[in-house]
Amino acid sequence: MLKKILHIVAFLFFILVTYFAMQACGFKVEALQKGIKDSLFFLTAMFPPNWTDFKSMVNPALETLSLAILGTILGSLVSFIIAIFAASNVSNKWVKLFVRSFISIERSIPELFILLILIAAYGLGALSAVLALMIGCIGMLGKLFADAIEETPNSLIESMKASGASKIQIIYYGILPDVFPKLISYALFRLEINIRLSVMLGAIGAGGIGFELDYAFSMLQFNRALSSLIMVLILVIGIEQLSTFIRKRLLIHQI
Amino acid sequence: MKTFLMEHKRWFQTLFLLIGMFLLIQYLKIDISILFTDLHYVVELLNEMFPPNFEAIWDNSTILNSILQTISMAYLGTLIGGLIAFLFSIIASNNIFNLKLIGSLTKWVLSFIRVLPSLVVILIFVVAVGPGPFAGVLTIIFATIGTLGKLFTESLENLDPTSAQSLQSTGAHKLQTFKYAVWPEFLPAFISNLLYCFDINMRAAVGLGIFGGGGIGYKLYLAMRVLHYKDAVALIICIIILLLIIENLSNYLRHKILEN
Amino acid sequence: MIKAVHLTKQLPNGKLLLNDISFEVSKGEFLGILGPSGAGKTLTLKSLIGLLDLTNGEVWIEESNNEHINIFKTKAKVLKKLRTKIALIFQGYHLVQRATALDNVLMGRLGSIPTFRSLIFGFNEVEKTAAMSSLEKVNMQHLAQAKVASLSGGEKQRVAIARALFQEPNLLLADEPISSLDPKNAKIIMGILKELSTLFPVIGVFHQPELCAKYCSRIIAIKDGKKVYDGPPVLEESLLEFIYGEELAIVIPEKYSN
Repeated sequence: MLKKILHIVAFLFFILVTYFAMQACGFKVEALQKGIKDSLFFLTAMFPPNWTDFKSMVNPALETLSLAILGTILGSLVSFIIAIFAASNVSNKWVKLFVRSFISIERSIPELFILLILIAAYGLGALSAVLALMIGCIGMLGKLFADAIEETPNSLIESMKASGASKIQIIYYGILPDVFPKLISYALFRLEINIRLSVMLGAIGAGGIGFELDYAFSMLQFNRALSSLIMVLILVIGIEQLSTFIRKRLLIHQI
Repeated sequence: MKTFLMEHKRWFQTLFLLIGMFLLIQYLKIDISILFTDLHYVVELLNEMFPPNFEAIWDNSTILNSILQTISMAYLGTLIGGLIAFLFSIIASNNIFNLKLIGSLTKWVLSFIRVLPSLVVILIFVVAVGPGPFAGVLTIIFATIGTLGKLFTESLENLDPTSAQSLQSTGAHKLQTFKYAVWPEFLPAFISNLLYCFDINMRAAVGLGIFGGGGIGYKLYLAMRVLHYKDAVALIICIIILLLIIENLSNYLRHKILEN
Repeated sequence: MIKAVHLTKQLPNGKLLLNDISFEVSKGEFLGILGPSGAGKTLTLKSLIGLLDLTNGEVWIEESNNEHINIFKTKAKVLKKLRTKIALIFQGYHLVQRATALDNVLMGRLGSIPTFRSLIFGFNEVEKTAAMSSLEKVNMQHLAQAKVASLSGGEKQRVAIARALFQEPNLLLADEPISSLDPKNAKIIMGILKELSTLFPVIGVFHQPELCAKYCSRIIAIKDGKKVYDGPPVLEESLLEFIYGEELAIVIPEKYSN
């Protein structure tokens, strides 16, 4: 009996919270209905896409892709070095605590704002974008890499320590070879995320196809917007398929 | 004789990587020397950023509103997106109602939704309902349907069919089987994924603030736009604390569910 | 020669993990350490190379030049040099899976190669040839280029022993080296360890009293952190019952379980 009352109270509370949340967000269903009509009309206005427009999208797309790839590579390298200090079996207690906290904090900063800060320091352009992506990797890859390093069997590390190997030797010869496929797999996964981020960052000033998309929308050049949108989809889907394919192959050919 | 890490192959791979990076840097016309020559700008910026101006937060009642707004965006996005994703996934998964053609179609639609970058989605919604947290929520709902749609479908398809089968053999029909056999087994995965998505959506809600999404992300963007860096840093610290709390809460609850 | 003197390890709550353990092992001896789970056997082994911090006690190791060094009171450099001459093998998971057998053997001498040289130039031909001959001693030379992940348990342990041999050690320690092996391979490994004890002292922790009795030259039994037996490998039932208590049925299933 009491359980039922509790359930009802919880349900009511839940409804109340949802109602307030809707108020807080300005959730207006009528606006949505009107909006859907508007956007459908506007979506049809976007067709058909312009072939010349499309051709001009190739270079920006390549730029966005390069940013993502470079950002991921640099980010992986930096994250690996940081991960070494964040792994309990390689690093000492206090350093590990400090570095792991740093990684968690980085994870909580949206990459968009990292870019804004970098733009304030270094101006618009590819350098800021690459640095933003690179730093953004640390939150995710730092943690994943450190966890992977910690999976190295203790007996391996102890036998190397017992024979007198130095810390760097233990990392390079003992830990790195076995953890490497996992690192590549995580890096590829991050690449999928970075390509989306690269598009988003482009809209704030990093250039590339994100910028084209945002510009086309704000200039109400709908055909152009559609071309850029299609290009973005090709880019994102392409990278995701490639990444999934390579990661599957890695899993099968583990050895 | 070759050794693993000293193989010529490894040297070539490393060289290939370095050359590749160099080429990319050249293609993007990145001038690395700027990192050093413009260092004084960084120092200037750091001076402008510290010490952070926390008064801007204490005095400003709208900040609390923004925080609530951001949390509401994530909450609604996860809730509504989760429900819709759940309905879609029941149709899409091949073991619950097994609606072959419609099922495959739904799966395809879910994939398409998942692939759309959030930038595109929010731009469209801003055109539809104007800038503000409403567009933000709708974008998050959309993105949630994509993520959770896939996760739910996978969970459903990976469920152990034995309990459902034994129930059906006693004559229970589809809905009953679902309520008594499928749902209890699916529930932990369902809640766990919802919490996971809530964590992700919180970050998205903050990030979308820039594109007119509202909430504390928007406040932060404004502060940076008008070069009030001290306020901005105070806000970032706020955001970091908020997201850390949510992340830890989410992880804690998910662990408790795993134990149950 | 290695000498453990009054090894003691006490936890903050007062519990004694190691209770005044002393013994001495010389060349030509194959020492087997037996005891129930949690008795302190592995802790004893680890303290012998300084991988465990003791509350009290010393470990003296005789260097090649007849000097005696206390492990816990030497400088890091001396300790590192000492360690290059001490080999340690485990129950398993102590090899790099994606590397070949030869690679793993070569890793035995990393302690004697400066970090910088090992990172940039790896190993030279002399070292590689010597590694191959270590593999020959355990009859694994035909699998030198095989990835360790593809080897069987017995083969992996032989690679680990080859790695130990490559160090040209003055002392070999083994922590339950045969616990994951089937009887046939276990006997092969025990045979190899016994042969090696003619070159340098071999100390092993085991859960297999019958094999110990057969291959070891001397046995120490540890129970609740204390040494309760130190003598020839003659194990009668009463002694085994005293050492293992209830665990006897698990340790020697064929003989003692119902």
